[in-house]
Amino acid sequence: MKSDLYKRRLVLFTGKGGVGKTTVASAFALSCAKRGMKTLLMQVNAKDRIGAIFNQDPIGEEMVELGPNLYCVNSTPASAMREYALMTLKIKIIYRAVFENKIVQSFLNAIPGISELVLLGKAYYHAAVEKRGKKRRWDIVVLDAPATGHGIFLLKIPSVVTSIIESGHMFEEAERMKAMLEDPEFTSVNIVTLLEDLPINESKMLSETLQEELNIAVDYIFANKVLSNPFTEEEENTLHRLEDSDTLLDSLFQSARFHGARVASQKKYADILKEKIDCFTIEIPYFFDGADRAEQIEKISKIISTQLNQTGEVE
Amino acid sequence: MSVSTSGKLAELVSRKRVIICVGSGGVGKTTTSAIIALQEAKRGKKVIVLTIDPAKRLANALGLASFTGKAQKVELEMEGELWAMMLDMKACFDEVVVRYAPPESRDEILSNRIYEYFSTSLAGTQEYAASERLYQLYESGEYDLIVLDTPPTTHALDFLEAPNRLGDAVNSRALQWLYKPTVFAGKKGLGVFSMGTTYVVRILSKLTGAQLLEEFSTFLSAFSTLFDGLQERGKAVRDLLSRDESTFIVVSTPDPLTLKEAAFFYEKLGKDQNTVGAFVINRVHDFGIDDEDLRRPIVNISTKLDTQFENPRSVAQKLVDIASKYSTLKKQDFRAMKDLKNNVSGDVPIVYMPYFDRDIHNAEGLERARLELFDKEKRI
Repeated sequence: MKSDLYKRRLVLFTGKGGVGKTTVASAFALSCAKRGMKTLLMQVNAKDRIGAIFNQDPIGEEMVELGPNLYCVNSTPASAMREYALMTLKIKIIYRAVFENKIVQSFLNAIPGISELVLLGKAYYHAAVEKRGKKRRWDIVVLDAPATGHGIFLLKIPSVVTSIIESGHMFEEAERMKAMLEDPEFTSVNIVTLLEDLPINESKMLSETLQEELNIAVDYIFANKVLSNPFTEEEENTLHRLEDSDTLLDSLFQSARFHGARVASQKKYADILKEKIDCFTIEIPYFFDGADRAEQIEKISKIISTQLNQTGEVE
Repeated sequence: MSVSTSGKLAELVSRKRVIICVGSGGVGKTTTSAIIALQEAKRGKKVIVLTIDPAKRLANALGLASFTGKAQKVELEMEGELWAMMLDMKACFDEVVVRYAPPESRDEILSNRIYEYFSTSLAGTQEYAASERLYQLYESGEYDLIVLDTPPTTHALDFLEAPNRLGDAVNSRALQWLYKPTVFAGKKGLGVFSMGTTYVVRILSKLTGAQLLEEFSTFLSAFSTLFDGLQERGKAVRDLLSRDESTFIVVSTPDPLTLKEAAFFYEKLGKDQNTVGAFVINRVHDFGIDDEDLRRPIVNISTKLDTQFENPRSVAQKLVDIASKYSTLKKQDFRAMKDLKNNVSGDVPIVYMPYFDRDIHNAEGLERARLELFDKEKRI
């Protein structure tokens, strides 16, 4: 049985750079919001793309409402550090005196990994702690995580901290984060990929590292930009045989052959993917008309929702 | 064999000693770096391409079986030599320690737990190690050209900032105060520190735990013996990158958002006085069908297919549908590239590569791409 992503509290998307993590994370978050779940879409230390996707101004450290039930924030280490320190110290004036001091700031900047720790801590806070009145503020937190290398750094940091220190506030925080990441009922890590050679190799490496070093099993693979071929096999074969008889046919055949070759290549890599990673794959089609991104996200969110429904446990 | 240098990009890479490819993730930086290196190796130079990427993709593109932190020679027929190297961060940092640390603190550093993580697995250090390795290769004088492939996304700029950041951090009073607390004891006028060091330590350790601070302080006092060397090196790298013999090439795809990021790199690099020599735009759709042809009745096309297909009308319709999709992509791609051109000063060439129907993952594919990029240079 496949896991029900809509029952998780923290859902992460990572993968090779440029494969469409932000698109997929945004679309999944939208599908959550459409189910009536209070959804927070989080970016960490990113150059904002979500604002553009939803046809809005760039999103910064301030939380923004993208639509019914859907909020978004783009956290930076500085803002996360401020929130974390305020939460821990509880007294603003001490924070100001100590943390807004340039010397202390450069000190904090110099501690390796502290950015990752406070950013992950913020995700943890929103997913596990934050309340509105007596109820949880968020039903689900969707994290548009950094690409492979930096994504692994982010997930690894609690283990690094707990292996360096053995007690204290930060140790306890790191322990809690680690437990959260390793709990498959709470956290879901998903890989976005393209059906191409290098992204697939990287996805395999990523899923192995997550399993071996972090004890995290990847939930779903999201294959983005999947092409389909309108021609029958017979037509396809004839197309390849044909000599170009004039310039119009020439350009028509060129497009069709290019398309056919890309479809065939994707199919080959889809098979390799199945062999390499034992995960259910959600397929997101390629959109040729890139004009209206908001509309595209809407479509993709429906596709994701439908495919997740078909995998079993989802109602 | 003659290798063309008539294109603007060919001319640029022919007169540089250090080329750094920057850009967002997934735009083909690694492959582009390999193609540039191949071009100059074919012209007779001894070239090395250095990749930071943990995915080891350069090995794929160069047809190498595996990759190591040591320079490997690519066994292809060419006038010069092509070498490839993957950044081995741990080894790179260890070398720094061995070079700069006095013998008595060497072991203390190498066995420190913070050092262990600092040198291998934390963000920012990768970029620092890359700039360190770049400089070592440059200094060795063994290569006529070094092509560096940087890590993806927004962090690509960390590469530039890493030497600064490390240099500044090392130089900062805060760090000195932590590993040499006595220096500041009793001094006045140091802002927060006049409140008393112990007070600040208490607040900070409430946040991090006293133990982490202590470990870090031990690490720093050992590592501080390296500081002068690191600082000097950071400055040397910055100098090298701003010199005439170095250039940055911004790599992108024609996706409008990705091109926006490319423009951001360009601006940022310009501000830091490092020059961008060229843009390389990969995966550009450059075929399709004219609008005029698109408006023709389907029957004009289907009659030409009569003898070949069982259902020529349906095939004709599908052909037109697909071609019109690629025409749309072509228009989008060229519009986005023109937008970039309007934002960039006139003498920086924007070179583009057509979208290939298969991935480049062997020497043949790489050579085909090299010919496209240099011999048949296409510019916006």
